[in-house]
Amino acid sequence: MSAPLLVVRALSKSFGGLQAVADVDLDVYAGEILGVIGPNGAGKSTTFSMIAGALPPTSGTLMLDGESLLTLPTHAFARRGIMRTFQHNKPFVSMSLQDNVMVGMHTRLGGGLWRVLLNLGGAARTEQDAAHRANELIDFVGLGEWRDADVSSLSFGQGRLLEIARGLAAEPRLMLFDEPAAGLTPAECERLAVIIRQIAKRGIAVVLIEHDMRFLMALADRVVVLNFGRKIAQGTPAEVQRDAAVVSAYLGDVNVPDRNSMKAVGHA
Amino acid sequence: MRQWIVLAIAALVLSAIGFALGAYQTDVYRKLLLWITLALGYNFLFGISGQVAFSHFTFYGIGAYAIVILLFQVGLPLPLAVLVGIALCVVLALIVAIPATRLEGFYLALATLAFAQLFIVVLNEGGAVTGAAGGLANYRLPDVFGMRVTGPWYTVVIVLLLLSTWTILWRLDRSYFGRACRAVRDDPEAARAMGVNVAHTKIIAYTVTSALAGMAGMVYAFVDNTVNPLIFGLENVFLLLFMVIVGGSGRHAGAVVGAVLLYLLPLVLSPLIGHHHALVFGVFMVVVVLFQPKGLIGLWDMLRKRGGRA
Repeated sequence: MSAPLLVVRALSKSFGGLQAVADVDLDVYAGEILGVIGPNGAGKSTTFSMIAGALPPTSGTLMLDGESLLTLPTHAFARRGIMRTFQHNKPFVSMSLQDNVMVGMHTRLGGGLWRVLLNLGGAARTEQDAAHRANELIDFVGLGEWRDADVSSLSFGQGRLLEIARGLAAEPRLMLFDEPAAGLTPAECERLAVIIRQIAKRGIAVVLIEHDMRFLMALADRVVVLNFGRKIAQGTPAEVQRDAAVVSAYLGDVNVPDRNSMKAVGHA
Repeated sequence: MRQWIVLAIAALVLSAIGFALGAYQTDVYRKLLLWITLALGYNFLFGISGQVAFSHFTFYGIGAYAIVILLFQVGLPLPLAVLVGIALCVVLALIVAIPATRLEGFYLALATLAFAQLFIVVLNEGGAVTGAAGGLANYRLPDVFGMRVTGPWYTVVIVLLLLSTWTILWRLDRSYFGRACRAVRDDPEAARAMGVNVAHTKIIAYTVTSALAGMAGMVYAFVDNTVNPLIFGLENVFLLLFMVIVGGSGRHAGAVVGAVLLYLLPLVLSPLIGHHHALVFGVFMVVVVLFQPKGLIGLWDMLRKRGGRA
């Protein structure tokens, strides 16, 4: 097996005295779908934010293709090839669908303002190609019919699809989905699963944070389970479902961990 | 190519109008063109980039004062004075923008308002350099290549200023940069996730539009051949804001419509109803903001859509 694309080691985050994530290790390979699950407050969202560059870790390492991501500002993560969707859709409401997707190409369309102002090096041509590609992506996620719609008139599920097209526009190496199934109808979930599988087939590494077990277990190649900010299990969906620690984390158990971490979870 | 043809035709038509007008009309026409130029820049800053800044008209004043001082007190030749004037606007814009764009909404508004007030204070206290409350006068544009540029030919200069400002802003808007500006305005967090450097984007938008306002100011300095603190006071700062809002914030055409309407409205109304024109003006503003937040250009879009359906 080739080297993992994303290597996470001993990733930790504490907010004051509260340990939200502790010593999490993850490997993500190109073309695979890795699911991260856990009960409420398990540290999923915190872990996600750190990998997405939105939250600096307290300690640990984050490496993409051998290069550390630790000191980078949030906007630099996109340039490295890490794109994300938001749990609560965050479209650019005043812009067309096409422009929304083209914002996703921001890191691929640089070249400087002088080039734009003087129309050097075919800046206008670059724009046309970008618009064409944006339309392809809108078709890919199945929003072709709504190409000219007002972004604010899209349904929640359609908004989610737009977020995916926008993320793919950057030609990412790693695509992060923050609870993509949340708020979707069963039919939309099915459609979403198909799209996510296609994305992974293109060789893009996919990380999903998910609440919906049924959705995730059917989709993920591998699953990592977090509880109280720590990794308690990993493996194929089938392996994880049989894991005693996972069952107890979800269904409760007499062997509750120590009191302090219980308290911490309550606040996370 | 098509863009150049449109620009050339616009330049010819707008210049030709300048040659057909009498003295009073020329004055109105030139100032109208300057207001459109300013409104286009302010639309990019306020409407597209979403920065509630009140310093745009101040940079107009800085440009105007700078060119006069650089030409007649420092004694620079015209091309150099223009370049130094632009550089001055860029430097001042960066000094304001780098700390101020970290501020959001209300606080950016306050910081730039303070800057605008400071400028007026500096003008009034500037002694012989700024001419204090009386300002600077009794100068005229130096000859360009041994020729005096006056009358309708100076109107051509203003037309070229307007069209180059339009071209610059139009190209920026239809590039990755314009989309980044709108993205930052709509949702900074999502923009950041798309790889947009939010602070840089705001600073560049602020600096470019401020420098364009400064250039317009340099051209304005030879319209009345006098600059004084009254011209650059807060009243005109807000008029500019109203132009963009009434016309349709975020739209180039909206800025043009707003500038034409709000500049001409008092000129048309005052002979009819005297000072009551301010009242009509105010009511008009309130009605637009309350009932047509997308401005007159939004109204036009709505009518056109309806017409298309029928």
